[in-house]
Amino acid sequence: MTAVAQLLAGGPRPGDPIRVLSGSGQLGYGIPEKAFRAGLERKPHVIGCDMGSIDSGPYYLGAGAFATSPLIAKRDLRLVLNGSLSIGVPLIIGTAGTSGAAPHLEKTLALVREIAREDNLSFRMAVIPADIPRDLLRGLVRAGRTRALGRIDELTAATVDGAAHIVGQMGTEAIIRALQMEPDVIITGRACDTAIFAAVPAMLGYDLGAAMHMAKIIECTSLCCVPGGRDAMLGTLDGDSFELESMNPIRAATPLSVAAHSLYEQSDPLTVYEPEGMLHVGTARFDAIDERRTRVSGAVWHPASQFTVKVEGAQWLGERAILCAASCDPRVIANTGAIEAAVRESVDDIIPPTGSDSYELYFHIYGKQGVDLFNRPVTGAAAEEIFFLVECIAPTAELAKSVTSVTKQYLLHHGFSGRLSTGGNVAFPFTPPELGGGPAYRFSIYHVMECDSLESLFPVSIEQVG
Amino acid sequence: MKLMDLAKVVRSKNAGPLHVTLDLMFADSQTYELVRQSPALAQSSIAELYCVDPSTVNVVPYPAALAIKIAIDRPVIAGTPGDCDVFGAQQHKPLLEIEI
Repeated sequence: MTAVAQLLAGGPRPGDPIRVLSGSGQLGYGIPEKAFRAGLERKPHVIGCDMGSIDSGPYYLGAGAFATSPLIAKRDLRLVLNGSLSIGVPLIIGTAGTSGAAPHLEKTLALVREIAREDNLSFRMAVIPADIPRDLLRGLVRAGRTRALGRIDELTAATVDGAAHIVGQMGTEAIIRALQMEPDVIITGRACDTAIFAAVPAMLGYDLGAAMHMAKIIECTSLCCVPGGRDAMLGTLDGDSFELESMNPIRAATPLSVAAHSLYEQSDPLTVYEPEGMLHVGTARFDAIDERRTRVSGAVWHPASQFTVKVEGAQWLGERAILCAASCDPRVIANTGAIEAAVRESVDDIIPPTGSDSYELYFHIYGKQGVDLFNRPVTGAAAEEIFFLVECIAPTAELAKSVTSVTKQYLLHHGFSGRLSTGGNVAFPFTPPELGGGPAYRFSIYHVMECDSLESLFPVSIEQVG
Repeated sequence: MKLMDLAKVVRSKNAGPLHVTLDLMFADSQTYELVRQSPALAQSSIAELYCVDPSTVNVVPYPAALAIKIAIDRPVIAGTPGDCDVFGAQQHKPLLEIEI
């Protein structure tokens, strides 16, 4: 009998407490083993792990690469696979391989099969890809059924065709469909973080407001505690409220720390949008059970009349090369604006950025608000030292490297007005100071699409492993 | 008093690649109320501080956590060349010095 078959036959029902163990908020960075094992001791009914994030930028979705080390990802997968199989409960891993597109899912499945072989494990696995077919998305664009989720261009057929990979965030619906096929392990492409942890309670008929709110909090494991951390977190759902407890005794889930977690990486702390509806947490109550456990109630689930799916896509822009240089000369520091303009002009003369040779050049000048996203006017005293990180994106790695090489020489020797240090304007930390950075991508799709059938979008397949 | 001397947490982080959000958290409800009602935290004041259009700024008080959330449209989508803070984790500095 598989883990899900056992759960369906003799597992908890609404009215009984159901325990959901969150093993990882980003599987692949090293799951703390002691707390995870303490979580297994508490006999959870399901174990969930989130393996993805969009925060690390468009490269991983575009290139089909893990943000984490495959070595550590394998170590974490081994821990949670052996752990869940040893106590016979379902394991759900969401957003395989950082971004959850086909290559990420394939690489994750290859690691899982490798672990099964090496550890002599045998289990039934459900796999749910999340790649969005381009013709479907183009059709929705034409029908006006997509919209931007903020300051990004509206979708066109060209944007859809230009993306290297396109994924949609599946919700509980897809994972419940997989659960109904009674596997031991579910591995998904891109998924809503909440769906991973809410699917089993939702399938069993638990209160959706409480189930989704609990999922939203435990998806980051013990980050909702003081002190916050990456240790496994246990959520126990009972009726229309739930209880939170970190599996590391030094971490306390207090009413304030749990409430504060609602702010994390959310643009609106009061509402959470899912494919199947919206969770309103503005009415939630947080009550201390003791010093390190909190009970939460009062969130309300509003089912949607129209399914919507968040879609993400990344487009290749070119190849990146960078140049590293620094200065402590007060005249250089005072004249960076004029120096940058003159160097750009010289580089343009030598390598005209036109036609198929067009490229982009960016000067990040640290010590002069180099980290200010909003380009506010520079204020305050001049820095003692500044760092030039010059970035070029060009159609080929060779051209990007050529542009940074020419930039290097003109930056070093540009004769600006008032210059004293005619030996060179900058110091290089090593040689060569220009480095290849690999392919560069941008998020070209971060939109929501209306969707009539979730079932055809996120198909489930079953595989017997081992 | 400066905000950095009143708040327990002043942090920034992306909420998806299109928004950067700023969280202010306070140790007690008096301080929270004091800051929440300050004109320095008005949408227009935050817009001026960050040199952005007020329509791109949203200020949401969250009393359950004694916190105030500010969301601002990112001028550059996270990770697009020309970005300088992919996670948006270092955009809180202008808030530190504001007078309440």
